Amino acid sequence: MALLDWLDERTGIRSATRLMLEEDVPGGARLRYVFGSVLVFLFMQQVVLGILLAFYYSPSATDAWASTAYLNDQVTYGWFLRGLHHHGSSAMVVVVVLHLLQVVFAGAYRKPREVNWWTGLLMGAIVLAFALTGYLLPWDQKGYWATQVATGIMGSVPGGEPMQQFVQGGSEYGNLTLTRFFALHVFVLPIALAGLLGVHLLLFRKHGVTPPDLPEPELRRKTQPFWPNQLFLDVLAMAVCAAVLVGLTVQTHGAELFAPADPASNFVARPEWYFLFLFQLLKYFQGPLQIVATVLLPGAAAAYLFALPFVDRSKSRAVRSRWSVLSGVGLLMAGVTALTAVAIVEDGGNESFQHGVEQAHAEAARARELAREGVAPVGGVAVFDNDPEQKTRNLFKEQCATCHTLEGKGSEEAPTLDGFTSREWLAALVRSPRDRRFYGATKHNTMEPLTAEQASDEELAAVVEYLVSLSGASAAASVDAATVARGKELWDKKLECSSCHELEAGKEGAGPTLAGRGSPAWIARIIRDSSQKDLYGDTAEMPKFADKLSTEQIEALAQFVASRKAP
Amino acid sequence: MSSGSGGEPDAGRRGVLKLGIGALGLGLAAVPVVPAVGYLLFPTGSKGGEGAFLPAGKRSAFAGSVPVRVELHADKVDAWNKTPDVKLGSCWVLERDGALQAFSTVCPHLGCAVDYDPEAQKFKCPCHRSAFALDGAVEAGPSPRPLDALEVQEENGLVAIKLVRYRQGVAQKEPV
Repeated sequence: MALLDWLDERTGIRSATRLMLEEDVPGGARLRYVFGSVLVFLFMQQVVLGILLAFYYSPSATDAWASTAYLNDQVTYGWFLRGLHHHGSSAMVVVVVLHLLQVVFAGAYRKPREVNWWTGLLMGAIVLAFALTGYLLPWDQKGYWATQVATGIMGSVPGGEPMQQFVQGGSEYGNLTLTRFFALHVFVLPIALAGLLGVHLLLFRKHGVTPPDLPEPELRRKTQPFWPNQLFLDVLAMAVCAAVLVGLTVQTHGAELFAPADPASNFVARPEWYFLFLFQLLKYFQGPLQIVATVLLPGAAAAYLFALPFVDRSKSRAVRSRWSVLSGVGLLMAGVTALTAVAIVEDGGNESFQHGVEQAHAEAARARELAREGVAPVGGVAVFDNDPEQKTRNLFKEQCATCHTLEGKGSEEAPTLDGFTSREWLAALVRSPRDRRFYGATKHNTMEPLTAEQASDEELAAVVEYLVSLSGASAAASVDAATVARGKELWDKKLECSSCHELEAGKEGAGPTLAGRGSPAWIARIIRDSSQKDLYGDTAEMPKFADKLSTEQIEALAQFVASRKAP
Repeated sequence: MSSGSGGEPDAGRRGVLKLGIGALGLGLAAVPVVPAVGYLLFPTGSKGGEGAFLPAGKRSAFAGSVPVRVELHADKVDAWNKTPDVKLGSCWVLERDGALQAFSTVCPHLGCAVDYDPEAQKFKCPCHRSAFALDGAVEAGPSPRPLDALEVQEENGLVAIKLVRYRQGVAQKEPV
């Protein structure tokens, strides 16, 4: 107490506290007055959680996703704090609506509280702006694509393009988009909201609550103090709200995080649930009418709400004398609810959407698992480089694609590897070995084509089937025994392939041995050293990778090439 | 207070309400604060190549007793980033009595990077004038202990050095 006295003497803390807490609530404390306090609580909680998230989050296009995945999946309780922040934004939207409805119902927007009503509406808009800007920050597929739609709408309205360019920091998404959204989300919007909140609270203290429509003496008789009567109800409501949030966060194990934003992908973009009504509205107004859904209708609704103090001409606050205003707001809410419901039902019955969502979840799970190893500094989608197949793909690009084509990309200095183990590849090779698709650009271009006179297509197919049966590749399991037998007969008796090609490993010939051709082991031998006598011998030009790559890398590459299907 | 009906029972009821506000308020504060303790104090941190033997070059590069400065590289996971082949630190390597000896370039005093002065044939710290002999012993200045020797491995003509960071400012050589 002595300490408090000391402090009070120097700061006047006691009278300041009294000033804050001592206020009469005419007609007594009521549950329906709690929403404003719950919003203040939620805002403060969002601020605390937001600061905590900023301890790990890094707002750059290369780091945003990886740092979010790190804070969500690796940092102690990161998922909980991020989840609480995420669901907290939904809670704010819900409580803003409840607060608004209570104010409308009580007629609290009426004279002399118009300015308070307007600051409240502005704050409601800011809460939505928070949601929109925060959504992009993880730089995941969902945030990226949903926000693209929002900024796209901004750019499509007359005069909106400069604004779109401003928030995006240019004509397309990138680092500047993130730093701008971040600055808006964590500096501009909170400061704006705090300022408006200050005005809102001061005006609220000036005018007091809007009590029930009762005679003055009764109101006075039932008056209770804000502290502790109303505040207890307020805190109780906050506790219920917090309990729901914690429950929701634990049940959903925090917020979703989709795969890193990939501008090259197609993602089934949907906004957060509280924007679904706008999303749905957009479906009904297309082409030149789009502006009806993006600007005119939402603008009309906002204008109606702003004008409510003037729309309402009734003499009394009594509900029955204000039915037109109440039904106007009611209609608005019903419209929003109906559009939201339709959007949900339509998506529920949309199979391709559901399939897309499933894929998105699978991709997200894979990306987040791979992110545990750390993401390369080039960022975001580079997380997939942790995938063993992607590693091999990158290795191929670095080491092999300078000569070989795969999946349509690469050089044609050496045989194309698409469908390398397929029957089609072999048959086409035999017909025109000196094509650039095969050995045309290499020193190994000495094989004579097998013409249709030497062997019919049907005979060629039989020989190919025979070779496939010897390959040990995955295709060998599916050969047709009769065709193989015919192929063997042709090989042994009619054709002259065997003058260059042996069918035994280790046996030297002018062409490579065809035993095990196309199998991972055979390909690995070529990668190690293609100039071995039973392979390409003197005509080999391919570098020897035995010293350049590790055994694992060579085996992975061989497996990769062997498993490429025909394009 | 200017409230309507005062009276004893009401005062008791208000006391309960005030207690309730305090208790619920504490609970509300605990929701973000309790997990925040674990969140802020125990991040999973960074994993570098420290503590592993890192390639330092060919044995032949270190012939002679003039110390050579070597930079050590390894893959590093720094929080969410995994970066290949990052420079993790450096050390001085010299040959003494036919064997290789490596010293951390981190001054045991306060962590400045120790230089080699070829004229004086001493290691010198540019910050606080600590000087060390070629065997690492302190010859001058405030350093509380000799230069930190690092483990050296030789295999097939290649040298690898184990990069370890030690606590600064204390007489004992303890890894951090």
